[in-house]
Amino acid sequence: MNQSFRVVVALSRRALNEILRVPGAAIPGILAPTIFLIGLSGAFGKAAQLPGFHASDFTTFIVPVSILQGAGFTGAATGVNLARDIEQGWFDRLLVCPAPRVTLLAGIVSSAALRSLLPASFVFIVALIMGVHWPGVDGLVIAFVLAMGLATVMAFWSTIIALRFRTQQAAPLMQVANFIAVLFTTSYAPKDLLASWLRTIASINPVTHVLDGARQGFVGAVTWHTTWQAVVSILGLQLVLGALAVRSLRRFGV
Amino acid sequence: MLRAAVALARRSLRTTLRRPQFLAPLLVFPSLFLAINTGGLHRSTDLPGFPHVHGFLDFQLAAAMCQSLMLGGVGAGIATALEIEGGFFDRLVASPIPRVSIPLGRIMAGAVIAAVQVVYFLALGLIFGAHIAAGVPGVLMVLLIGIATGTGFAALGVMLALRARSASTVQGIFPLVFVVLFVSSAFFPRKLLSHPADWVAAYNPLSYVADGIRDPIISSITATTVLEGLAAALGIAAAGIGLSVVALRGRLREA
Amino acid sequence: MPAIEVQGLERVFKGGLRAVAGIDLEVAAGEVYGFLGPNGAGKTTTVRMLVTLLRPTGGRALVAGYDVATEPHKVRKRIGVALQEAALDMLMTGRELMELQATLHGIPPRDVRDRAAALIERVGLSQAAERRVGTYSGGMRRRLDLAMALIHAPDVLFLDEPTTGLDPVSRITLWDEVRRLRDEGTTVFLTTQYLEEADQLADRVGIINAGKIVAEGTPAQLKAEVGRPHLDLTLTDDADLDRAREVLAQFGDGRPPAEGCHLSVAVAGGATEIAPVVRALDDAGFMVASLELVQPTLDDVFVEKTGRHLEGAEQAPPAAADPVAEPVA
Repeated sequence: MNQSFRVVVALSRRALNEILRVPGAAIPGILAPTIFLIGLSGAFGKAAQLPGFHASDFTTFIVPVSILQGAGFTGAATGVNLARDIEQGWFDRLLVCPAPRVTLLAGIVSSAALRSLLPASFVFIVALIMGVHWPGVDGLVIAFVLAMGLATVMAFWSTIIALRFRTQQAAPLMQVANFIAVLFTTSYAPKDLLASWLRTIASINPVTHVLDGARQGFVGAVTWHTTWQAVVSILGLQLVLGALAVRSLRRFGV
Repeated sequence: MLRAAVALARRSLRTTLRRPQFLAPLLVFPSLFLAINTGGLHRSTDLPGFPHVHGFLDFQLAAAMCQSLMLGGVGAGIATALEIEGGFFDRLVASPIPRVSIPLGRIMAGAVIAAVQVVYFLALGLIFGAHIAAGVPGVLMVLLIGIATGTGFAALGVMLALRARSASTVQGIFPLVFVVLFVSSAFFPRKLLSHPADWVAAYNPLSYVADGIRDPIISSITATTVLEGLAAALGIAAAGIGLSVVALRGRLREA
Repeated sequence: MPAIEVQGLERVFKGGLRAVAGIDLEVAAGEVYGFLGPNGAGKTTTVRMLVTLLRPTGGRALVAGYDVATEPHKVRKRIGVALQEAALDMLMTGRELMELQATLHGIPPRDVRDRAAALIERVGLSQAAERRVGTYSGGMRRRLDLAMALIHAPDVLFLDEPTTGLDPVSRITLWDEVRRLRDEGTTVFLTTQYLEEADQLADRVGIINAGKIVAEGTPAQLKAEVGRPHLDLTLTDDADLDRAREVLAQFGDGRPPAEGCHLSVAVAGGATEIAPVVRALDDAGFMVASLELVQPTLDDVFVEKTGRHLEGAEQAPPAAADPVAEPVA
């Protein structure tokens, strides 16, 4: 167990190296959700005047969307990095070491959760500057924890894609899943205001619960009901995609 | 020169079609965005001051087209930058063709791709219940403005590639695409934008392009709006082509 | 117990490509085994199966006593691998990479730093250890790659074309390291397309072509199978070559001379025959302008078995020949 933990820590440190040693590496992941937050607020801000919109303003309503988008983007980048490592032969080096495959996978995805805090924090600070309602410490912690969870989910997904296609050119496939998962929810409006087809998808999409959990502090009070649904959803996604990622890794090279 | 440019345009189209990973973002992401915007904010048509439309989808089609056309421009830039990085560009420069045909070929291909993009979104809209209020003449106007705009963005992409020379630098422009889109009337009527987006939108040529594309879809053709859109589109095209030729000259001078 | 034992090993890819078509080989512990063949012969596929990166579709392979298909993680504990591409993280320093590798291979935390430092010093990278790998030359990266493969003192070391793309000095340095490893008792499985490399380093050589082993043995055995050394001679005066040939007939069979030479004779005794040949020609009134002793090469073995040359025959450093350019009086 100790040895596995050390391997996970060592691989996480390597993954964090990129943003520490390449100054511009973190910028796209921070810039994209921030631009979306500011841009969507500017474009659709008046939509919050619609009856049934449960938020003081549109920006407050979509801040959690941007936080989750940034986290998902970071998670997807994990897969792009893995695809690069596969292309360049570095991944072979990991595969011939005696560490179990599960440990290697944990090492690859664990850094995503930590790295997701960067865009999440930046978006939150920008949101506060824009006048967004303070979500309370509990609301903020829950939002950030759920963001880290989503980053891990997207890291699992993008790892599966990277192992399947073995090329960085599959990056759009990794990113589009994040886009769909986070936006085909109550991202822009409460469920009652959505078109019926989107309402149906949002009802089925587990990320809707995650978004509701991240949003609750911003638009009202934190409740146990919303929180446990969000946590169960994110854990369920991690379990399913994590199992599929382990399976993909075990079959790699077969 | 025209012959060389056409030959290079055909080559660009062929290589683009063989790399679906470049083509897909031009259509897939804007389509998803269109779906989200329409599904999430369709009740926005109830807002006071929102123009009378058959449905929010009709309003959003112009935004999807503008987004797609801009991403097409970035795509043309990335493809050109990859050719420069890979040395194929130098091979063309060393061949006995008028050098201006090199960027023109890529730009012409951009015009063809723009036509495909516009037709795609018109078809998508019709499938999901949109109405083209101005009928066939309206479709033709939309095509005209769209192709001119797409040509312009392709030219700007080529210009960027000639100056930056690296695909990753050109790719870094992606966020700027969305900035320009958000501070225009592509997604929402100008008078319903939040401040200061509404102020910027008044000076953003993309607003006029979007309005020009939108007008024949949501109503019968309004001459002023459509002509302003066409003028903006042609202005972008002229500026883009001019800047790309200047960039080419600058690059050849350095070589 | 052999370090590597392979029986009927096969790998068929999707689409029916039979990259390795049933090979048998055995490598004794402490031996350097050279695996020689042209590009596309199946060398890398074989190595990837033996190091558990690729599952065999047929046959069996035991490495360090464990089955690569059913006990891969036990194999991984005992092998070191340096593949064709020196896959390194350009953003990390040499020391960081070594310590990461040590952690991945289960070196206890208290030993990681010292072990990494010792290996770095062994491969001559102490001065560069704190620099990012992106600043290293090709030769330095290869040495670091080798050091990483040795961090856990493996029983069997796999080197896949370790000197491809290296300058001559770096190549020689790597060769010295391989010899040192052999002296320390490490088994080395070395793939290469360079004849000279296999000749210089390997205790035994296996030659693979189109997925099958076509020849196996020590370099000397293989070369002896295909012929003897021969002497190519050029005389100062080519007026009476028939008489010169009669003189040479006592030493061995005549053969078609190489281009630019007048005479050629097979000499079973090799270099020891040079002086007697020159003396006999001198006694008969002939003066030798130049002579060259040409040894059979592994390429000759490859030509014998497959009918074509190994690609490395043209690219490798000069073979171990004994050219004598000065006239010998």
